[in-house]
Amino acid sequence: MPEGASSSAFTSEGLKINRGAVDTVRELLRTLLESGKVKAVLALGRTGGDEGGVGYSLFRNPAAFEANGAALPLLPFMPANAGALLSRLTLEGPLPEPVAAVVRPCELRASIELAKLSQGYLDNILFISSTCGGVYPLDAGIDGNLEEMLPRYWQAMKQGTLDDKVRPTCRACNNFVPEGADITVALLGEADLDEECTLYVQTERGADFASCLEGATTEVKQENKVLERSMVQRDAFREELFATVEVGLEGLIRTFGRCIGCHGCKTVCPICHCRLCHFDSQDCERPAGFYEGELARKGGLRVPPDTVYFQLGRMAHMAISCVGCGMCTDVCPTDIPLSTIFSKVGASAQAAFDYHPGKDVDEEIPLRTFEEEEFAQVAT
Amino acid sequence: MNDKGAVLTAEDGVKDALIGWLKETLKNGVFDAILIPVETPGGDSFAYLLLQDPAILDSASPLPPVMPVQGGKALGRLTMRGRLNRQIAAVVRPCEARAAIELCKLEQANLENVCLITIDCPGVLPLSEYLDDPETSAVRHAGASSAWDRSPMRPTCQICDHFSIRQAPGSDLHIGTLGCEEGTAIMVAGSAKGERVLERTNPPTLEKEEESYSLNGLLEEWAAQVEEMERAQTKTRQRAHADLREAISGTDRLLDLFKDCINCHNCQRVCPVCYCRQCYFESDALKLPPENYLARANRKGALRFSPDTLLFHIGRASHMATSCVSCGACEDACPMDIPIAQVFSLLADRAQETLGYVAGMSLEDPLPLVTFEMDELHDVEQPYVKIYAKQEVQDA
Amino acid sequence: MEDQAFAPTIVGFLCNWCTYAAADSAGVSRFKMPPSVMVVRVMCTGRVDPLFVLTAFLRGADGVLISGCWPGQCHYQTGNLQARRRTVLLKSIFNALELEMEERFRLSWVSSSEAPRFVQVVKGFDRQIKDLGPCPIQDELFL
Repeated sequence: MPEGASSSAFTSEGLKINRGAVDTVRELLRTLLESGKVKAVLALGRTGGDEGGVGYSLFRNPAAFEANGAALPLLPFMPANAGALLSRLTLEGPLPEPVAAVVRPCELRASIELAKLSQGYLDNILFISSTCGGVYPLDAGIDGNLEEMLPRYWQAMKQGTLDDKVRPTCRACNNFVPEGADITVALLGEADLDEECTLYVQTERGADFASCLEGATTEVKQENKVLERSMVQRDAFREELFATVEVGLEGLIRTFGRCIGCHGCKTVCPICHCRLCHFDSQDCERPAGFYEGELARKGGLRVPPDTVYFQLGRMAHMAISCVGCGMCTDVCPTDIPLSTIFSKVGASAQAAFDYHPGKDVDEEIPLRTFEEEEFAQVAT
Repeated sequence: MNDKGAVLTAEDGVKDALIGWLKETLKNGVFDAILIPVETPGGDSFAYLLLQDPAILDSASPLPPVMPVQGGKALGRLTMRGRLNRQIAAVVRPCEARAAIELCKLEQANLENVCLITIDCPGVLPLSEYLDDPETSAVRHAGASSAWDRSPMRPTCQICDHFSIRQAPGSDLHIGTLGCEEGTAIMVAGSAKGERVLERTNPPTLEKEEESYSLNGLLEEWAAQVEEMERAQTKTRQRAHADLREAISGTDRLLDLFKDCINCHNCQRVCPVCYCRQCYFESDALKLPPENYLARANRKGALRFSPDTLLFHIGRASHMATSCVSCGACEDACPMDIPIAQVFSLLADRAQETLGYVAGMSLEDPLPLVTFEMDELHDVEQPYVKIYAKQEVQDA
Repeated sequence: MEDQAFAPTIVGFLCNWCTYAAADSAGVSRFKMPPSVMVVRVMCTGRVDPLFVLTAFLRGADGVLISGCWPGQCHYQTGNLQARRRTVLLKSIFNALELEMEERFRLSWVSSSEAPRFVQVVKGFDRQIKDLGPCPIQDELFL
């Protein structure tokens, strides 16, 4: 079975609804709010103005999910990683009442990973995810340009492919089938998603919450050829994309030559959660004499210093948990393909420990545990 | 500005002349090191390098087509824990020098042993535009710069009226290029430090065969051109600010301005005068229990999440507008093309004007919010007479 | 002009209870060793933050050695096991970026009674670094 396309999503019960996918999700959320089964919904919505402006909102009013309401669930856009938002929401304590969150697989994985890092509670969160066809880059969301992309997006989704204007990080993602969601909406490869929709229910809570929608139960297919095909395509693109990373010392220096040390990547990264990052702290502030020493040795020294140190150091801190969500690339002012680099390094670090970030809340983060006998070949 | 100056012969262009002069200063020990932008290894941007090897100056670029890192911030990072032990020259734009001076007053930089060398600045291109095609952009910038045509430059640069030394008297040495004959530029000392450097380096004065140029003549010509351009730019700035103020007036339009904001805080991070290790808006003060967020969502029907977008921007403005030097680094860093620099420079001008302060002019000007007079700003108070006079009449 | 002989700079993070004691013992016994190791005594290899290793390389080290007690003999029970995992992590990062740093970064176990073994480790690592040459990172200006 290809990695990531877990069969678990499709051995569970499915509810087939005779309504388009987006409408189904809206209806589900509206009903959940109206019935009081959930007290709020975290989903994408209009931030104001008729011309675009899309952001996550915590919705209380069911009217937001009516046909032309303010909420835009399933919109292919990620202005923030919802996992980071859920962490922020539950940092000081678990949700007192159920809240539904419409998230992408990488956002779900970030949520789970953050819970492992004690940065929030998963209690009372109803996760609604979907088989993911990626999102567009952040600048596609400026000034309402996103609307124009939607027809081609859904066209590609129905065919089981990804629009080539979707972010490269997404097109290379092999974790596009969510694990650990309460309800998964089948989207990728569903040719009839404008008319009908299947919701896969993976937990009891999911079943309870989905039961407020009218629908028929359906037989579940064991295999899903479309998902397998997509996995093959993505794996191929992933290899291509990783090959574009400039390797070696020279490649590293060239790549991060234009890094301005703004640390924006760290700020938007869902995994980077430190209140005061080491690289922003006093530990990285040096008296001038320190730099003069470096200067004397090398003849020249970039200012502000410690750019490559920050990048490699951030890799050492979080690559093991990187979920490949791509926020870093989106936010970089100098267009460095950070997500490609960090996903590649993340894949290497995760493979070394056979670790899968965000897959299972009980899978211990590799640097927090150890065995008496392991990795014997590392020490000489 | 005083009349102590010199002429730089620049047959191969001002850049080469300046680089040549800087090499001399290194060789003669006038400076131990130079802080100057240098092309990055990938040829795709520019980064500040502190260098003592004169050979590296060959890839240096005094006024590159973009400003990815604000020079004031670079100087701040270098000296925040104490002054340099050696003498350095920092070749920066006027707004970068002003930011350095502000940081010094904010105790986040130490300019002892730093000779601030500024140059007349025609502006820079938007960073994202430059990155799309560095080569063509560099050519476009070079052409526009020499013609002092600001139309391709960033909006912040287009309305800048602080592009020369008259408006950056804190710099120690200034290279004037505006209005100078091709092949020349002038060097003016802005301080005793700058004068000493000029004396030690003794750049040549220009002598032509038919006419002899007097330094004072050149200085006068340059100063007149600068003054004229400043007046024109000030008018442009005021007009732009008036238009902008109208465009964002009222809560609805202000919210519209920030509709695309993703709360990445890049603007705060690249700002030279935003120096807090942990920004208030990222601190525990704004991290609340879930009940708080749910209650707020309940009151309005929905709560944009993460919340407090407007609070962040207006709050940040209230924290740094008195020190804002309108450098525009924030706008270059915004991933959602929000015209944040234009808004902040409007707010900064107003705030500074109200407090009778201009950011970055001089180390001697006290920061407006750490000083006060007994007798000032009465128009924001309720007059004593109106409140108490009635009572006093009754009591009497 | 090249230096006649490249004298490597190796930063050695040695745990107080085992390897440092062995190194001390080697010194007292006057075993000859190349002088390339700059010793940083830590109480346990578990104290070594991956950032120490990165910092050492970025500041001019040609090689970094972490050495401590054998697994099962750590004075603090399990510190060395954490060090082992961190070593795996760092090497996987170096690997992914093809930085050719793996051979410059070594983890070894040397107990306090193994002074001759410490000498062997140092000699071997010194030879390896000499073969690899100076670490190229230290000359980069755009770090």
